[in-house]
Amino acid sequence: MTQAAIAGDPGAPRKERAGLRPGQRTFVWGALIPIFLYLGVFALFPMIWVVVLSFFSYSPVRVGDGLLGLGGRNPFIGLENFTSMLADTQTAQLFRTSVKNTLIFAFLVLVVNLAITLPLAVLVESVHNRVKGVVRAIYFMPTISSAVAVAIMWGYVFHPQQGLLNNFIKLIGLTPPKSWLTDPGAAVFGVPLAMVAVIIAYVWQDFGYNLVIFIAALQGIPHDIRDAAQIDGASGWQQFRRITVPLLRPTLLFVCTLTMISSFQVFVIFQVMTGGGPQNQTRSLTMDIYENAFRYQAMGWAAAMSLILFAMVLIVTLVQFRVLRTDWEY
Amino acid sequence: MKRTALALLMIVATLLAACGGAPAAAPATGGEQAAAGGGEKVTLRVWSHQNPSFIQANEAVIAKFMEQNPDIEVTYEQFEYAQFIQALQTSMQAGTEADVIEMFGSWVCSYASGGRLAEVPVDVMSYTEAQELFFAAPLDGYYCDGKLYGLPNEFNLEVGGALVNPALFEGKDVPYPPVWDTMDTLREQAAKLSEFDGDTMIRAGHHFVGGDGLPFLLLEGILEQGGTYFAEDGKHFNFDTPEAVATIQLLVDMAQKDKLVDPVLFNGEANQPYDGFFAGVVASSFIGSWAAGQGLVNYPDFEFDYVNTPILFGTQRKFAADAGWGKVVSANSANQEAAWKLVEFMAAEQENALTFNGTTGTIPALKALVDNPQGLLEQAPWVEPTFKLLPDGEYLGNVTDRDKLFYEIIYPAVLQALQGSMSAEEAAQTIQAQANEMVDTAP
Repeated sequence: MTQAAIAGDPGAPRKERAGLRPGQRTFVWGALIPIFLYLGVFALFPMIWVVVLSFFSYSPVRVGDGLLGLGGRNPFIGLENFTSMLADTQTAQLFRTSVKNTLIFAFLVLVVNLAITLPLAVLVESVHNRVKGVVRAIYFMPTISSAVAVAIMWGYVFHPQQGLLNNFIKLIGLTPPKSWLTDPGAAVFGVPLAMVAVIIAYVWQDFGYNLVIFIAALQGIPHDIRDAAQIDGASGWQQFRRITVPLLRPTLLFVCTLTMISSFQVFVIFQVMTGGGPQNQTRSLTMDIYENAFRYQAMGWAAAMSLILFAMVLIVTLVQFRVLRTDWEY
Repeated sequence: MKRTALALLMIVATLLAACGGAPAAAPATGGEQAAAGGGEKVTLRVWSHQNPSFIQANEAVIAKFMEQNPDIEVTYEQFEYAQFIQALQTSMQAGTEADVIEMFGSWVCSYASGGRLAEVPVDVMSYTEAQELFFAAPLDGYYCDGKLYGLPNEFNLEVGGALVNPALFEGKDVPYPPVWDTMDTLREQAAKLSEFDGDTMIRAGHHFVGGDGLPFLLLEGILEQGGTYFAEDGKHFNFDTPEAVATIQLLVDMAQKDKLVDPVLFNGEANQPYDGFFAGVVASSFIGSWAAGQGLVNYPDFEFDYVNTPILFGTQRKFAADAGWGKVVSANSANQEAAWKLVEFMAAEQENALTFNGTTGTIPALKALVDNPQGLLEQAPWVEPTFKLLPDGEYLGNVTDRDKLFYEIIYPAVLQALQGSMSAEEAAQTIQAQANEMVDTAP
């Protein structure tokens, strides 16, 4: 690079400053503009639009006076959508219930998912290579299934009369719950039974993804570290606790973050399996947003709730990064 | 730098163009306007939900319309029910909705007050003329702030009838078809139809625990006892009354004492009245006669009948009715004249209304079809039991947000009472508080 270019001399040839010839620049812009437009229309604009809407009492059934239908019948209300979330109204109570349900769901899914996938990954990693591929494929299959199909299938499994689960429980001589998905009085350690059922179905579908990631991460841990620990007399459990888990921290961070984010966003499995019932015990925040936006046309209120969901995801992710971050590599 | 700025400007302009709403003053869609005097075809788009019998009926009438109006081409598009409202909202914002929309009467005023719907031109039909043609209950759902915004096809009646399954009456010592003159008879006979496996109900004798069933039963009970559910201002509600409590208590007794239905296993989310009935786990299902028409299309081999259910209280039936499905025209339509011509053809012409109600099994909004019912009864004999009820119905009224009142407020509260989570009094108080909150917080 010339001194002039380094110094930012305006007289320097443009192609040298950009490092591209005019023909190359045209190609780059030609390649980038469509994707910029795509992201702008389908990602950037909706995000900005949600933020704007959250400050309006906006409903698509009303024609507004101003730009993009805002103003007039869809008035600016400042922070009222946010302050009313704390009010003692049914709408606000439903919102708070859905936030609570979403948090319970996300944290329980994370715990159950990790409790299954991490030990299972160690087991799968320890089997013969030929078998490993088959086992991995079997566990991964539910992940690529349609969420609606999974929800319907589990709906049949949990069916009070014809369901596999209740029939199995009866077969072993126990008394099954009256209804897994619709009994508002049934709970396990304070968690509504319907929520437990949805968590089981969701984890069944989702755990294969984390399993594959953990297996890949385990394969990346150098064998000589474990060999050295073995020579030093470390037991299998000690190796897992003192070597495997610490070395998996970057992967754990990744898995925890993605699992939490996807759990916060779950909609289909709730909608199909329980519809939010019984008595709103499985009403998630995404369902509340959907109901208000598309059933009751309260788009401004729904936009404000979406921002709260965004804030929840952001905070939880930042906390996970803080707790699980590492400053080293192997 | 200039190029970058230009590219950014282009992106912003494209975004605004893509996402901008169509101003009402400049209709942005609605088919191709016929060239003035050019004799070109006008193209209309019609939207409806995806109920098979509704599609069948609309297709037949639209085909006839196009035959009689060769200068008008009609494109008929349908949406899965759950997607229908979303499609309406997003398309209205973008100005790409159809010219003619099949809309539920109870939604009309919210869209009309939002400026989304066109008023019926007086030369097509005035409200006074419409009153002569249509029953008041369905018509008044389309009449908002002194203006008429569409024409009804259906008298939506969710009370006074039930689907009954003859197979589940066999061996139960209950006459078939049942003649339920009083609630006592219904409760006594339906209790014999319920079946249990241990403590678990496997078949419901009489299923009334639906998202529409419970609210309509509550309103009927209040009206039949001489009460009202509106407060004095006609806008707020008054559900914390002895009439409301007595109605909820009656429903609780039917579930808990008579065991006609287990509200944990049979409700609006699981084994719904329609789905549960056609799954063969419900002997009689309290539901509107539309379910019979839909059942015939969806389950042609399923044997069933539609019978009257008794008055809840007293001797004079009174009930609240929704406005039912009908046709409206978008304010954005560029072909208003042709659109209204089609709406009038589909809803107000007796032969076409007959095709609609006969095929869909719905109760006619057009009085003439009830006055001369032979044609309709040949196609949909099960609607006959409803005819004698129609004069007793009154329009539900301006309840602010019908779906919210029914599905978020009345249904959950009454269901909790049925499931034993709260008393009838508490349910009535909950409904009262939440319904008035809905009115006070409505935009």
